[in-house]
Amino acid sequence: MKKYIVKRLLQLIPILIGITLLSFILMQASAMDAVDVMEQNTGGAMSEAEKAAAREELGLDKPLPEQYVVWLKGVLTGDMGKSFVSGQPVFTTFVSKLPATIALAVTSLLLTVLISIPCGILSAVKQNRFWDYLIRFLSFIGNSLPNFFVSLLLIYFFSLKLGWFPVMGNARGWKSIILPTFTLALAMAAKYTRQVRATVLEELNKEYVQGARARGVRENRILYFSVLKASMLTIVTLLALSIGSLLGGTAIVESIFMWDGVGKMAVDAITMRDYPVIQAYVIWMAVIYVLVNLVTDIIYCCLDPRIRMGQEEAGG
Amino acid sequence: MRKKRLFHKKAGAVLLPLCLAAGLLSGCGGGSTDTKTEDNASAGEKVFYYGDTTFNAENDESDVNPHNGYSGWACIRYGIGETLFKYSDKMELEPWLAAEYEMTDENTWKITLRDNVTFSSGRRLDAQAAKECLDDLVSVHERAKGDLKIKEISADGQILTITTEEPVPALINYLSDPYGCIVDMEAGVSEDGNVAGTGPYIATEVKTDTGLTLVKNENYWDGEPKLDTIHVKTISDGDTMTMAMQSGELDAAYGLPYASLPLFAEKPYTISSVETSRSFFGQMNYDTPALQDEKVRKAIAMSIDKENFTKTLLDGNGTAAEGPFPANFAFGDDTVTAPKYNPEEARKLLEEAGWKDSDGDGYVDKNGENLTIRWVTYPSRQELPLLAESVQATMKEVGIKVDVNCSADFQSFLDKGEWDIYAGAFVCAPTGDPEYFFTTHCLDESSKNRGGYHSDKLQALEEEMKSAFDTEKRAELATQMTQTILDDNAFIFASHLKMSIVSGEGVTGLEAHPCDYYEITVDLDKN
Amino acid sequence: MKRDYTKLKCIILSILVGLLLLAAVFADHIVPYDPYAQDLEHALLPPGGAHLLGTDRYGRDMLSRVIMGGQTTIFSSLLLVLIIMTVGTMIGVFCGYNGGKTDTVLMRISDVFLAFPGMVFAIAVAGVTGGGIINAVVALACISWPKYARIARSQVMAMKEAPFIAAARLSGSGTWKIIRKHMLPNIAGPVLVTGVLDIGTMMMEIAGLSFLGLGAVPPIAEWGSMMSSGRSMLQTSPWVILAPGFAIFFTVMLFNLLGDTVRDVMDPRRNKRQKRKGD
Repeated sequence: MKKYIVKRLLQLIPILIGITLLSFILMQASAMDAVDVMEQNTGGAMSEAEKAAAREELGLDKPLPEQYVVWLKGVLTGDMGKSFVSGQPVFTTFVSKLPATIALAVTSLLLTVLISIPCGILSAVKQNRFWDYLIRFLSFIGNSLPNFFVSLLLIYFFSLKLGWFPVMGNARGWKSIILPTFTLALAMAAKYTRQVRATVLEELNKEYVQGARARGVRENRILYFSVLKASMLTIVTLLALSIGSLLGGTAIVESIFMWDGVGKMAVDAITMRDYPVIQAYVIWMAVIYVLVNLVTDIIYCCLDPRIRMGQEEAGG
Repeated sequence: MRKKRLFHKKAGAVLLPLCLAAGLLSGCGGGSTDTKTEDNASAGEKVFYYGDTTFNAENDESDVNPHNGYSGWACIRYGIGETLFKYSDKMELEPWLAAEYEMTDENTWKITLRDNVTFSSGRRLDAQAAKECLDDLVSVHERAKGDLKIKEISADGQILTITTEEPVPALINYLSDPYGCIVDMEAGVSEDGNVAGTGPYIATEVKTDTGLTLVKNENYWDGEPKLDTIHVKTISDGDTMTMAMQSGELDAAYGLPYASLPLFAEKPYTISSVETSRSFFGQMNYDTPALQDEKVRKAIAMSIDKENFTKTLLDGNGTAAEGPFPANFAFGDDTVTAPKYNPEEARKLLEEAGWKDSDGDGYVDKNGENLTIRWVTYPSRQELPLLAESVQATMKEVGIKVDVNCSADFQSFLDKGEWDIYAGAFVCAPTGDPEYFFTTHCLDESSKNRGGYHSDKLQALEEEMKSAFDTEKRAELATQMTQTILDDNAFIFASHLKMSIVSGEGVTGLEAHPCDYYEITVDLDKN
Repeated sequence: MKRDYTKLKCIILSILVGLLLLAAVFADHIVPYDPYAQDLEHALLPPGGAHLLGTDRYGRDMLSRVIMGGQTTIFSSLLLVLIIMTVGTMIGVFCGYNGGKTDTVLMRISDVFLAFPGMVFAIAVAGVTGGGIINAVVALACISWPKYARIARSQVMAMKEAPFIAAARLSGSGTWKIIRKHMLPNIAGPVLVTGVLDIGTMMMEIAGLSFLGLGAVPPIAEWGSMMSSGRSMLQTSPWVILAPGFAIFFTVMLFNLLGDTVRDVMDPRRNKRQKRKGD
């Protein structure tokens, strides 16, 4: 067991290096360096000598690999430089906005579970009957609507026409989280309803279910005590993995609802070409995503020796 | 059977990290605590929500420190700071923190301050405090330094004496620029850019790009502010702001998209609109060979449909411009003329200049190259992308290809010289005096003369302007100067902004002001 | 019975998608008006009359713009899926067949790309390279190829030791021939199904980037950016935003339905199960 965890952690190292390296290269590819931006922001022209001095001070005259190492040390110690625009330390800003995004992600995930599991089960149990068709139809619609379109429609109906919820996020208490949550959860729920349905159907066709049926166990009992338990694992794993797309999806929704999280921060930073902020966003989002996956994997494996063995084989 | 139990355990196991994550994260979700306090402010307290598009770093208004870029605009707009003099609705100067002034000679100004004013820090406003503030201003703020040309300031009780290096006829006007907000330098500037001013409200929380919180200044010198708390929300998205206004989340809003103004035409909303000297204009790059040809510049000027742009795209919220100043100025649009929209004539001019569509692709060319204009502009002023797209279509009619580059990062394209026409918005007479526009944009040494425009005639007129103290004389010079740049077609002025503030139910005392920077005042109230 | 029904569905959907593609290909010829011609005198006309879907604030015909936007949106998503499918499969086959160090290195690289949440990376790339539909496609391609590489790799690894491959090798077929003749046809199924299922998703992501101003730039007709610029008119002239909105919705739905049906047809396991259920 320990061996597996250590192994997974070791595997993480090249990935993390890759993430930081890629982000670093990406930012190097951008046209301007910090000194050019500084010149722009102060409004005054700097002489080439002044610029060179500033570059030396920031270590920008060093060869790239050396710059990368210096920069990586900064990242590890929470020093990711200062925003080109506001001059605030990037990491502090990021950390201060992260809770809002995470709160939104968590509520969306919970709502997704609340919608997709009952609907998916119902759909599977009533396969090829009215409820199944209806749920599948609705999930198709949910799956085909871009989330920015959904947000606009939700705002229009629920904020303007009905006046139930506020338009802007972070403004008036708990109510403001509802519409952004719904926007994010609708698309995800549509996707997972279909997956829940497929998983439950697969389980229903397994031999032990047929056997139970043959022994005369009641359908409901089979469903709740065997099939659901068995399906849950797959479903919950899928949900844990969906955190990635959720983290990315918040960017659009946060900007529309003025939700003051890291997604909106990133979109704002992009319009301003505030590279250090974009960089912090990319790296930390990727790291969070990787860690969530890792934790899921490890615990999953703790309890299922079969998977552990299989993975070790594949990994080795 | 064993298999089943196993599955059960595993399900729990996978749920665990999820719940863990959820708990951990919602624990961090401290963001919700401050929202609750906003909700609780009910018992008799007057809380006001104000939506604004401009309080952000993009507009160089990252805090409320008047000595930092254009942040003075935020300082004065939100009633935090006040200047020595201010403008009336007719753009005439009035005393504000100053009681009166006197010019003892061309270079010396004696300003008497009011004696009943205190800063929100508790310090009394005297000449010494004003001196400290202005000294700091000219030492850190390039634009102010260039405008004011201060040699020395001396303080004696309530009397502030300013000596300039050379005659500065518009000194009082410049002191009324938002950068001239008098703040207490002893209290200093906080880390988040907050200052102690003399205005009706005090900022308690300043968050770049997000907004600020203002509370009533109990010791305000000019009446009692009527609201207890004001939340200024930076809402960069005009549509979100529209809907927030409709749903009642905002009590008033500045910078709503024109397309949504009709939604507020009826009760309970009121719209206060005013013509401002904020103009949208294009600046020609004289480094572009094609644009060095007078005929090409004129053809371009003739292929912009200003009338339809203001009437249709701006929904009538603006007037088609001739020059930089709207008609309500003595040196405004009524006194000058610019080329009218005339695609026929424009085509003819291009042909005379040797530009013909020889390959039949719809664009005129010369030596095998199409006439292509790189139009650089930025999106934070909603009119600019509209102008770009409209120009793109009308110039295409004439045979000019326009590549629009609309980016918040426009400055880097200007710096790299990757542009032919730069379209921007600028308040051309923020102080009611015309000289400012020319000194910033049109002269050899102007910092915003981005296209390298030069005119001997203009330089000569500016020499006269520099030392002209008589208002009428200045107006006349301004007219001549405007006509000069228009005849050269170095600038094309598309329209003047009509600024609108929408107030919700029960809101009084919020009036749009022609100079665009007096918004929240002591009169603002909500019933 | 069941199976025939699925096939029929597949055919009908293919025809519909085919029509859509034809419309996109010949967009230039079937638009009633020039989608870029402004006519400010006739701005924001409601649907009906000479303009079936009304006009936008520049007086441009909405129907023409929606058709033209279809070309941009559909072609860029097809191009994107084609790129990631080809590149991903090639890398996957290469890794699976050769194994060894290159395999390890390439798979670690794909791990890194997989570690980025999709939109997050796309936003970053678009942010650095600036707007433009090509940049959006490149950004999305960067993070989407590993999925295909994984599929192709596992298929090739499973097949490598199969008797028929060994037989082919014995009969003197070269590596390239084995891959081309024996492996690719077997991988094509799962890869294609994934590809068709991805079209809708990619379409929405491209539109999403355009909506944020990181994809297509005005005046180019593209559904996402058309919606973005029409947002302020949701209440006053709703057709400006609803027309491209529903265009995205129906197109994505059509491609999703097609993807599902193709999967059902190609996946014999599923068919068997359905049949059993049907009994």
